[in-house]
Amino acid sequence: MKRKPTIFQKEETEINVSPLIDMVFILLIFFIVATSFVNEVGISSTYKDSSSQTDSKRKPLSFTLPGSGQVLLDGTPIGLEGVAPKVRNSSVYEPPSVIIQVSGGAKAGLATQVMDQALLAGAKAVKLTAVSQ
Amino acid sequence: MKLRRRSTLDEEDESINVSPLIDVVFILLIFFIVSATFVTLPGVDVSRPRVEKSTSLQKNSVLFALSEKNEIFHAGKSVQLNEVAPLITQAIKEKEKPVVIQVDQWADATLLAKIVSAAKKVAPSVSLATLKNR
Repeated sequence: MKRKPTIFQKEETEINVSPLIDMVFILLIFFIVATSFVNEVGISSTYKDSSSQTDSKRKPLSFTLPGSGQVLLDGTPIGLEGVAPKVRNSSVYEPPSVIIQVSGGAKAGLATQVMDQALLAGAKAVKLTAVSQ
Repeated sequence: MKLRRRSTLDEEDESINVSPLIDVVFILLIFFIVSATFVTLPGVDVSRPRVEKSTSLQKNSVLFALSEKNEIFHAGKSVQLNEVAPLITQAIKEKEKPVVIQVDQWADATLLAKIVSAAKKVAPSVSLATLKNR
């Protein structure tokens, strides 16, 4: 008869974990909602500023993108497929720098693809500049 | 006597053991805490240009979007070109972060060039988000 209270006490000392679970669930849901999985792939246009441009002896290759959707090198249309061979040809001694001059109406997609082709062909640096007509 | 004992045993078994559940939930919680980067998305859907050579960009970056209608978006709001540099400066004040521009392939390239040059003045690196060519 005397033992009964101790048994009763033993039951009482058990930790109630339900509030803990509640809290953990709330935290879990918060982090699930707040997490945004940004997994971007892309290209970087790495071009040093105009100051370091002078230590390269060779003139950078300059592609021009007019509004018509063509790709010009020194005034001659070469097309997107022609970019990589031109860059490769001029990278005999050292990888060239590439400047892409875009004028109004040129599409960003084409500019990005030209940058990509130039980088693929081993261009050292690619710069995107806007020309005002 | 036998019957009664079994029924009491059953009753004890009925209470669900929550410890494995807590274990799993804790693991999930830790995973989400670790993977949380809190990037503010630009909030506009763009069709990225498809390119051949693309590298994985850093996840924790300052994101801008250039939409098809030549609008610049940052953190769900449309911003002007001259606001880009101050926004980047503010975003990288505490921690150096690269800038990623999500560009629509039909956007104006001159505006893109202007954003890139504006961002490059203040940010350590500027990248364009693309699609992987398959």
